[in-house]
Amino acid sequence: MTVGSQVKQSLASLKSIHAGLQGLALISQDEQAQRTFHEAMMLTEEIIADIKKRLSKLEWEEPQYHGK
Amino acid sequence: MPIWLETAIRSFSILIGLFIITKILGKKQLSKLSFFEYIVGITVGDIAGTMSVDLGINLQEGITSILIWSLFPVFISRLSLRNKKFRDFIEGNSTVFIKNGKILEENLKREKYTIDELLEQLRKKDIFRVADVEFATLEPNGELNVLLKREKQPLTVGDVFPNPPSEKEPQTVIMDGLILDEPLATMGLNRGWLKQELDKQGVAIENVFLAQVDSYGQLTVDLYDDKIQVSEPQEKKLLLAAIKKVQADFELFALQTESEEAKQLYTNNAEKLTTLLRQVEPLLRN
Repeated sequence: MTVGSQVKQSLASLKSIHAGLQGLALISQDEQAQRTFHEAMMLTEEIIADIKKRLSKLEWEEPQYHGK
Repeated sequence: MPIWLETAIRSFSILIGLFIITKILGKKQLSKLSFFEYIVGITVGDIAGTMSVDLGINLQEGITSILIWSLFPVFISRLSLRNKKFRDFIEGNSTVFIKNGKILEENLKREKYTIDELLEQLRKKDIFRVADVEFATLEPNGELNVLLKREKQPLTVGDVFPNPPSEKEPQTVIMDGLILDEPLATMGLNRGWLKQELDKQGVAIENVFLAQVDSYGQLTVDLYDDKIQVSEPQEKKLLLAAIKKVQADFELFALQTESEEAKQLYTNNAEKLTTLLRQVEPLLRN
């Protein structure tokens, strides 16, 4: 596995975490819990943006694996 | 009219009348009878019993007496709801028996309580050493309530975890195989969601005897068929594991990469995930 695909895998995991946190934020009954989940969700969004940036650079460095 | 018929009619109407009266008196009476209310209850029952059997008693007289006996306590409890002084007079005050760990002998004497009785009451609450008691008071209904010294108090969740995540009451969404729409709506959910969750657990809705949703949206079910094993909800645990995995991955990438900029980025994000973990871990753990 190349570095690019490894990072892509992490990105996919992050996206699933983001969705999981979002679901919990919506379904939780306690306000404090809602807020915590929401904040965590925003944090994952930041990280996802960062990793996407890094990924585009990686794809440029390893063009043979582009899109995989 | 034959005598038996008159007795039957009397008994039946008095039964209905008593039922209405007990409804008016309310729930409080059952759990916390004062001596006065106890006596009133017995008297009302006695009057009603006599009235239904003894045909010599005029119905008008009997009903008047029952109404007075049963409505007077209602009136008194209404009044004592408004006035603190009146309430103290009617319901009495509590008497402090142990204060700062010391027995107040004067108060014991005033309530005609022997030290043996006090020890017995304490033992009923699993307290065998008076030295463990910080404060004890005799309530107006005759019950002894005890506050233990701090070091003798049982351990609570708050002692172990400073800020435990709060947990609201679970809602029952399926009962006897029928979907209850109202609790579902209270949680902000609908039948579609329920169907989806049941499918995830591989359970047919006809087979569900009871299903409850906790305050984090986890569904637990009890099936008619007790041979089928239902798995516990795993979503929160899986989410926690996924976060931990990505965090570990980022640390690994930071070590592997040769570019200084990328290293910085991975370390930063690994740290962000660590703070995120610290926030959500208590919520996701159970």
